[in-house]
Amino acid sequence: MLFFSFFKTLVDHEVTIELKNDLSIRGTLKSVDQFLNIKLDDIQVVDEVKYPHLSAVKNVFIRGSVVRYVHLPANAVDTALLEDATRREAAAQANKAK
Amino acid sequence: MSFFGFDNTLPRDRASHAPHPKQAPGFSQQRDAFAGLSQNETKEADGYDFEDTYDGLGDELDEGDDELNDETFGGSSSAAAPGKDFDFFGSTAKVANAINEEQLLYARGPKKSQPSQQVPPQQRQAKPALSYAAATKPKVVPKHQIPTEIPELKPEMSLWQNTSPEATPTTAMSAHAAVHFRHVESQEQRPQQTAAPAPTAAPGAPVQRKYKSLEEVEAEILAKKQAKLAAASQQPQQLPQPVQQIQPTQPIQLNQQDGWQGRPVQPFPQHPQMVPPHLQQIELPFPPRSIPPQQNQRPPPNDRAPEHLQRGPMPQPTGQLPFPPMQPGQPFQGNNVLFPMGMIGPGPVPGPGPHGPQFMGVPPLGQPQMIHMSDEEKTKFLEDESKRLKRNHKIAQLSRYNGLMTPSDKNFITRIQLQQLVSVNEDSFNEDFYYQVYMAIRARNNPQQPLNQFAQTYLGQQGARGGRARRQDNHLLRMQQQVQRAVAAAKARPKASQLVLEGTLGKISFSNVKTPKPLLSIKKQDSTGAAADPNQKTVHSTFAGIDRRSILAAAEDIYRSLLDLDSHERKQPGQNLAGNQPDVATVEWLETRDSLIVKLWRSMRIMEPINEESDAPHPFIAILSVKKAKEAIPRVFRYIDIEQRITILTLITISLEKVDVIKDGRYSPGECSLPAETKRKIEGFSQYVLPPLLSYVSEAQLDVITGLLGILISRINVLLLSQTQIGLAFLTMFTSRAEIIKQAGLADEEQVQNWTHTYDRLFAILEDHLLDIFPPQRAQVDDMYVWQFLASMAVGANMQQQQKMVGAVRGPVNDNVQASKTLPQEMGQQKLANTNLFLLALGLDIKELLKSN
Repeated sequence: MLFFSFFKTLVDHEVTIELKNDLSIRGTLKSVDQFLNIKLDDIQVVDEVKYPHLSAVKNVFIRGSVVRYVHLPANAVDTALLEDATRREAAAQANKAK
Repeated sequence: MSFFGFDNTLPRDRASHAPHPKQAPGFSQQRDAFAGLSQNETKEADGYDFEDTYDGLGDELDEGDDELNDETFGGSSSAAAPGKDFDFFGSTAKVANAINEEQLLYARGPKKSQPSQQVPPQQRQAKPALSYAAATKPKVVPKHQIPTEIPELKPEMSLWQNTSPEATPTTAMSAHAAVHFRHVESQEQRPQQTAAPAPTAAPGAPVQRKYKSLEEVEAEILAKKQAKLAAASQQPQQLPQPVQQIQPTQPIQLNQQDGWQGRPVQPFPQHPQMVPPHLQQIELPFPPRSIPPQQNQRPPPNDRAPEHLQRGPMPQPTGQLPFPPMQPGQPFQGNNVLFPMGMIGPGPVPGPGPHGPQFMGVPPLGQPQMIHMSDEEKTKFLEDESKRLKRNHKIAQLSRYNGLMTPSDKNFITRIQLQQLVSVNEDSFNEDFYYQVYMAIRARNNPQQPLNQFAQTYLGQQGARGGRARRQDNHLLRMQQQVQRAVAAAKARPKASQLVLEGTLGKISFSNVKTPKPLLSIKKQDSTGAAADPNQKTVHSTFAGIDRRSILAAAEDIYRSLLDLDSHERKQPGQNLAGNQPDVATVEWLETRDSLIVKLWRSMRIMEPINEESDAPHPFIAILSVKKAKEAIPRVFRYIDIEQRITILTLITISLEKVDVIKDGRYSPGECSLPAETKRKIEGFSQYVLPPLLSYVSEAQLDVITGLLGILISRINVLLLSQTQIGLAFLTMFTSRAEIIKQAGLADEEQVQNWTHTYDRLFAILEDHLLDIFPPQRAQVDDMYVWQFLASMAVGANMQQQQKMVGAVRGPVNDNVQASKTLPQEMGQQKLANTNLFLLALGLDIKELLKSN
């Protein structure tokens, strides 16, 4: 749930989603769910010349399993908090494993 | 509707049945429906008025094709008694016995009933040829003769039992449905036949053997008709007399006169349960509530009765509506009487009029009742009617989709919704830590954020804290608590994450909202883990090796304790403002908190003994070398008390030489810059470790400062220390704090003297090496910390010491002044400001220096 929790805080920020088919889409993150499916608004394909068919698309829903990377806006990430959250997640996992 | 002629009539319907169309195919005539008539005619026959009670439906019957009845339904002459296979009501009636008795007792009160000896003959008589005429009679007779005692009523029920399917063949279709159908039918056929109903039904058809013919029965009854008073009987004796007229209201009124209001219900105690669902639906348009005023006088033994009454007789009195002949084989043709009527007297035959096919229409004017109504009554009646119809229409519309979802469907949806709500439940800080805390921080930092987000965070936190009493009225919170309970219950159930079906090779893994179905299942290799673990354990326990791994693990230990404390802090029970005594929860919470702090303190390993001989640093100092440990210090300081803070400060102070930022912080000869790694460490140290220390020092007493500086001077190579940024920072920290205390007059004379002594020692060590504290000339670093140190020294220095200082640092001051002229404006000003810091401490100003230059 860490990533879900994390991406929830990025809602309404501009992110760039890099898909496994090398397509990069920049847009405003509108919502994300526990499968890390992503809804983007006002999208723009990074290499628009290469993918002209997407130039008319305004918003997309991306299935979480096809995402390779999400480029984050650095100023929207609380690193220390993220570290703590990671620690908690790890602790929870360790507890579960026991 | 019973196509095969089975008796599916409800018992209550039976008594009041519309005249049986004897000519209807399938209704054999083995029984003499009127065999019992003569027996009781003196009493009940008076009540029969076929003219008044017959609806004329018999006229519509088709007489043809009766020859084949025997072939179709078995010979009527056969000795085989009718089977009881379908005698459903009989068994029900048995059960109903008790209820009947109860009701009787209640309704009848002290009245005496007809002795039971009168009934047995009836029974005997009814057995060979039981018709509903016979069947209905006994049930009414005791009533009429005022039976009160339960035993006397039993024969009544036995008669019901004995009623064979043939007795009431006309009820093949439920009364209301029949009404409806019939109405439609008659509407269709009405145009064809406009003549007044004629007694076209062949009365002889049902009577074939020793039984009275229909004509005979009619004759009997008609003969007595004149003599009868309407009050004589409420007997629902319905004979298929074609010429019968219906008197819908009269019998009921008679009932009233006899004080019989309560009685009619008795035979049908289970009425509501027995109404088939479709019947109930059909009856919806006529809710009992809106009984027209005209009929209020009547006791409504059954809720629906008045409704039907007002409609039933409609066609007959007006004589406008001829009944079209019924087609043979229409199983509902005989169902002219609504079953509720049976309870109240001669069943009024429902006319086709008010029952629109959809029960939506406004009843047409010209109904018999309405004719007799005054205008106001009519208006009122119509209003009521239309209101009711409107309401029923609405109900019907709304209920159209009733029952689309099964309970399990609903459960399923509810479960999904509950799972979605889990993120706001009590352990949201575990499941959704980042989001919750991030939003909380944002809410704190930015009150102008959108309200909904704030509310979300706020409520989330409230929910997480288990609800405080004063917020109980918050319904959202209440809902959350409900959800919490539901979720807790769901969690209590052990849940398998996967299912292995027997005999299959694969397994089915489940997923839920929190743990989406794992696509990869990676297992840690136990071998490596086992190898690493003992190693780590030993390191933990003894801290022998100061390898990076164990240091990192130790730092994680600190964080683990910190996180535990943090989450415990969030569980803090609400302040108990009522009394000074903390409640149990608070006490418990404080105890847990203390134990957690102890754990945290231990995890920092500060109290481990200092090994003087060893080159290895103290464990705490070693741990402090990693950045994350430095970052933890401010958070640790929030929880530890003053003593522990002093301990930390002391430990760091006496170990300064071994602290990495001091050890590596000196400029090696010929080097103009520190390694990048060291620079980062210095930055981290001054960013995370120094501020909490400083904040403590800035509140410390002078003797503490004096003591610390004394230890430092005696144990540490101050010269080396002074050549590092952090070392100087420590010295600055102590001297400046001491100076503030001194000038504020917060310390007594002895303390000041002690301090002055210590200061002198420090100055003596440094006075000849003041130039060495500067970073290399060419090093492009901010030398502010040097000037800060010099300034703090200068403030505390006496005149002599000040002169020495000025003499020592004149070079750098001049250098800075010169450099500031060549450097860009901004950097120049910076350099001058730094230098001025020192000069101001001496009571000078750089402006004079600039002027003199």
